[in-house]
Amino acid sequence: MIKPFGFIKPKTVEEALSALQVPNSVCLAGGSDLLVEMRNGLKNPDLVVDIKGLKEAAEFSFDPRKGITIGAGVSLNFLAAHKGIRESCPALAEAAASIGSYQIRNRATLVGNICNASPAADMAPVLYILGAEMVIAGPGGEKTLPVSEFMTGVKQNALSAGEFVIKVNIPPLPRARMAFMKKQRVRGHDLALINAAGLADADAQLLRICVGACAVRPVLLEGTDELYRKEKNPDKLAEAVAGLASASVSPIDDVRASAEYRRDLVRVFARRIVKQVCAA
Amino acid sequence: MAEKQADYRYVGKGVKRKDGVQKVTGAASFTRDMNLPGMLHARIVTSPHAYARIKSVDTREAEKVPGVRAVISGKELNYKVGLYVLDKDILAKEFARYQGEPVAAVAADSELTAEQAAELIKIDYEVLEPVLDPREGMKPGSPRVHPNLGEYGYMKGVFFPQAGSNIPHLQKVRRGDMKAGFSQADLVVESSFYNPQVQHVAIETHVSIVQALPEERVEIITSAQSPYTVRNLFSVCFGIPHEKIRVKVPYVGGGFGGKAGIHLEPLCYVLSKKAAGRPVKLTMTREEEFNTIPCRQGLYSHFKTGVNKEGKITALEVEYVWDAGAYADYGVNIGRAAAYAGAGPYEVPNCKVDSFVVYTNKVFGTAYRGFGHLEVLWGIERNMDIVARKLGLDPVEFRRRNVLMPGAETITGEKITDHHGRVDKCMEAVAAEIGWQGYKTDAERKKEIATGKVRGKGIALLHKAPAMPSFTSTAVVLKFNENGSLDLMTSLVDYGQGTYTALAQIAAEVLKMPVEKVNVPWDCDTSFTPYDWQTVASKGLILSGNATIMAARDCLRQLKSVAGQALRCSEEDLDIGDEHVFIKHNPEARVSYQQLAYGYVYPNGNAIGGPIIGRGHYMAQGLNNLDPETGQGLPALDWTYGAHGLELEVDVETGEFTVLKIASSFDVGKVMNEQQLRCQVIGGVIQGLGSAVTEEFRFSKEGKFLNAGMVDYKILTAKDIPAEMTQHMVETPQLDGPYGARGVAEHPMLSVPSALGNALYDALGIDYFQLPLNSERVYFGIKKGEKEFHG
Amino acid sequence: METTSKETIITVKVNNISYTERVPCNMTLLQFLKDKLMLTGTKEGCGIGECGACTVIMNGKSVLSCLMLAAEADGAEIRTVEGEAGEQGLTALQQAFIDHGATQCGFCTPGMIMSAQELLERNPSPDREEIVEAIAGNLCRCTGYEPIIQAVQAVARDARDARNARNRGK
Repeated sequence: MIKPFGFIKPKTVEEALSALQVPNSVCLAGGSDLLVEMRNGLKNPDLVVDIKGLKEAAEFSFDPRKGITIGAGVSLNFLAAHKGIRESCPALAEAAASIGSYQIRNRATLVGNICNASPAADMAPVLYILGAEMVIAGPGGEKTLPVSEFMTGVKQNALSAGEFVIKVNIPPLPRARMAFMKKQRVRGHDLALINAAGLADADAQLLRICVGACAVRPVLLEGTDELYRKEKNPDKLAEAVAGLASASVSPIDDVRASAEYRRDLVRVFARRIVKQVCAA
Repeated sequence: MAEKQADYRYVGKGVKRKDGVQKVTGAASFTRDMNLPGMLHARIVTSPHAYARIKSVDTREAEKVPGVRAVISGKELNYKVGLYVLDKDILAKEFARYQGEPVAAVAADSELTAEQAAELIKIDYEVLEPVLDPREGMKPGSPRVHPNLGEYGYMKGVFFPQAGSNIPHLQKVRRGDMKAGFSQADLVVESSFYNPQVQHVAIETHVSIVQALPEERVEIITSAQSPYTVRNLFSVCFGIPHEKIRVKVPYVGGGFGGKAGIHLEPLCYVLSKKAAGRPVKLTMTREEEFNTIPCRQGLYSHFKTGVNKEGKITALEVEYVWDAGAYADYGVNIGRAAAYAGAGPYEVPNCKVDSFVVYTNKVFGTAYRGFGHLEVLWGIERNMDIVARKLGLDPVEFRRRNVLMPGAETITGEKITDHHGRVDKCMEAVAAEIGWQGYKTDAERKKEIATGKVRGKGIALLHKAPAMPSFTSTAVVLKFNENGSLDLMTSLVDYGQGTYTALAQIAAEVLKMPVEKVNVPWDCDTSFTPYDWQTVASKGLILSGNATIMAARDCLRQLKSVAGQALRCSEEDLDIGDEHVFIKHNPEARVSYQQLAYGYVYPNGNAIGGPIIGRGHYMAQGLNNLDPETGQGLPALDWTYGAHGLELEVDVETGEFTVLKIASSFDVGKVMNEQQLRCQVIGGVIQGLGSAVTEEFRFSKEGKFLNAGMVDYKILTAKDIPAEMTQHMVETPQLDGPYGARGVAEHPMLSVPSALGNALYDALGIDYFQLPLNSERVYFGIKKGEKEFHG
Repeated sequence: METTSKETIITVKVNNISYTERVPCNMTLLQFLKDKLMLTGTKEGCGIGECGACTVIMNGKSVLSCLMLAAEADGAEIRTVEGEAGEQGLTALQQAFIDHGATQCGFCTPGMIMSAQELLERNPSPDREEIVEAIAGNLCRCTGYEPIIQAVQAVARDARDARNARNRGK
């Protein structure tokens, strides 16, 4: 059972920030992580601040040349179904569609998935490879932080007390092929045993691969652009990236999978992603 | 009680489920939905340790919380509960024997208050070394889960707890001469297998509401499969006379065996007594459902098979070691039943089975759909494939040469007759359906694997008879209503199987009346609905179906008796039709059921007869107890045989696979209701597939349950089912079944894992020995690159 | 700003009936429906959003009521299974569930119906994949899902046939 708390639904960012000054207050967006944590006694707030009333939370804009803005209240189903995202940034839509069940995705948000900062956060690898930035509202004003600096540890993010994420900005999209993969135990809703996203921009000679659920934070592989430039043979490139990926992660044994399986799957996923995004 | 073959109006026809409307509108009321005036909510405190001595329980702080009406711990309770071995306390007294075992409980005005109070209960434990592996627990010198096993009451003559050990029962089967049998063998093969514990995962968790009333009366509302068993065990436990205990069972949100016995009712009762007789409701959270409520016990199985070069089994030696968990519950009976079925549906002239039920310090096992048979068939049917291959025989051919056919005997000495089911026909049907052509050759396999994806096919057979006491019986009462409709009263519980609809079909058939006018009140109530042993064992249709026929005929006799007087003729002259009783040679002389239902009134006001109530009962004929040393005897009312054929495709880089098709076949005797039968089969197949591919309890090395929740204990979703599933029925009539029918409720689950394991061999050339066959296990088998993978 | 009160007042329409109630802020929408409004059709199977038994339709979308606070439903329109059948009888979907054996124990059925109904309202002729996607969040242990999928397919087929007939008639 959830312990008693107060509830407020602010209408403006200022009201929200004021509410978050109350000690032991938390933000509520989709609720699919927070309500579970409250029921399980992992979080016992005194005040719940529902940010879905803010117009900024509902903000959404999509333009491949200008970028994508996703407000804190925008649902995963909205992203998964968005025609523009499906065409220009399919990995984002696929990652969104892979989370939870249909009903959960009607409420759960991309921002919430990142703020929850599970190492297995399914939105993280895509946001990493796209260079997304979190826009944070706080008592000192608004600031931005790259997603890779925002996720700081297992279920830990860079927010200070009194701050909350108002939206995510994705820069102008590269003209790239993208892929997203997620390993689950069942085909229905499941957490990721590992997940990964990749993109290859042949013109800009960019190759970005990020792997999740294999370390305390998602791992953006380093040196992939250089490999992409140097190795023209697609099979050899895939193999090289697979080896790099396997060496870059530090998975653990847990109740879901062994470290060895995870590491071996990372290799397979990396190879498959490279073959998919680098296909002529 | 088989009727002669005829064109039936309802039997075998697609009558829609009787409870459909109540369920699709959400009107059907489950125990979980119910509240009584003055009702309190309970919460439990459970042991965090797998094995510990309880040094002290301090409830003082909890008792002070406003709204708390009762706090209770084991030291106040001197009752023992048990189906066959009285080994369990309502709350752990001296020892907590599994992580998750209830140690204390609170009843309060609200659930939140109860929870807050429960958190204030302080318990001091002395942690002890747990027994976690039943193979270790069997050995002399192992720590004792039940040091006082020798002092417990138990069902004598059927179960044999071994004092001073961790073995509450050993079932033996001894047939023929093992030495001679193995000496006749040209080949001897040994293999070992493992099934972990799994959970039923009914969508409605366990929940009970109990009120302790004056005069020792008790009212119980509970999500249960067996109201009379709840009542009986309650009576045995508390010493309260049966007639003072009322057990009501409304709609039940799934059971699968997990709700077959007695669970939360005694605890709710003692809380209610302590709370001045207010009703107490205890609902298991989903986590408690996994961690506290019993499961399906684990099994280690070992086979030693002797075969001659003609491909006939000459000897089979089997050892089953059941991981029963901390209490015997149904586990001892599962160990017994699985032993006498423990050679599979085959003719085995020389057979030795030792089935050890062993205590460990884990969640204990209870009844689970299949009652041990899925677990033993995992090993049996995988072993058959392995032996076949070592003989150089096609596995289907090997089975053909050994399946039980009319004239053969089972390992307990039961003779197979022309009226037993035909397992061979089931096997041929599924083999044809999946296009079985024999295993791939090594070359074919290698070529396919090189593409990254490889397909495989597998076949497995199954059999089960109801595991029930020889004296199992059931009763059905039919009572007429004013409008000539019937109420069919039974304490068999329909929690989704569709049995009530089938019973209504039977009553309507015998009485030649519209099935819509045979009403089955859904609630069972031991004060009103007549006795049924338990809703388990796939016995509902056969026993209650026969009882319904008898009750309907009893109605018919009474109808004709009064009608004969009303129509002034001999009863021999009467027939029935269109809800009327009429004179055969003068059909216009007739009287309606409605006119007879509560007595017939003549035009002048004279009245005869009275309310017509039909009584029927049924008990299996000729069952006996198994010989304690040899296991010989007749335990089985009816064997339902079946088979599955399965095709899958493996991604060799990841170990992931897709089950493309499952073809199933059963000899059901008579298809009572085709749609419901198909639905029952599909449901069971998918539940079996869950056991096959994802489900298992994981424990830490200290014996703590690691995945007690739906996040990490996954059951299959709509995305996980095969694209194609077929169901084929054979109808070899069961002579003592209603219209020739046999049960098939549990059977669809059985051997699905075995078929999958056999298909993986076909695909990969690798034998797997442990369940579940999840992608990680399959992957490591591929990675290791050997023909056998024991991990 | 009211931050110390542990209760709040919500106004919510459920099955077309408007309610204004004072609720504890920590009450979930599921608890509100079952314990406050006595609408027991919606079920709890897990409390953490894994089983889908608590599915209702809120403002046209299928949601898990165990993962929502009642407070979040202020101003919303909610549909539960009790509101589906009306004076005209069962809905086509409810009838299809009965016709295809899509309900056994019945405990997952209300949530399953709401998920499937929401699908049919936004997509009257879904293909099998779309149906599976819509109901995959609803766990069932009895039916094996295939009869449920077939029930929804039947409704989809009938809708398609009716639409084609209307178009031919034009």
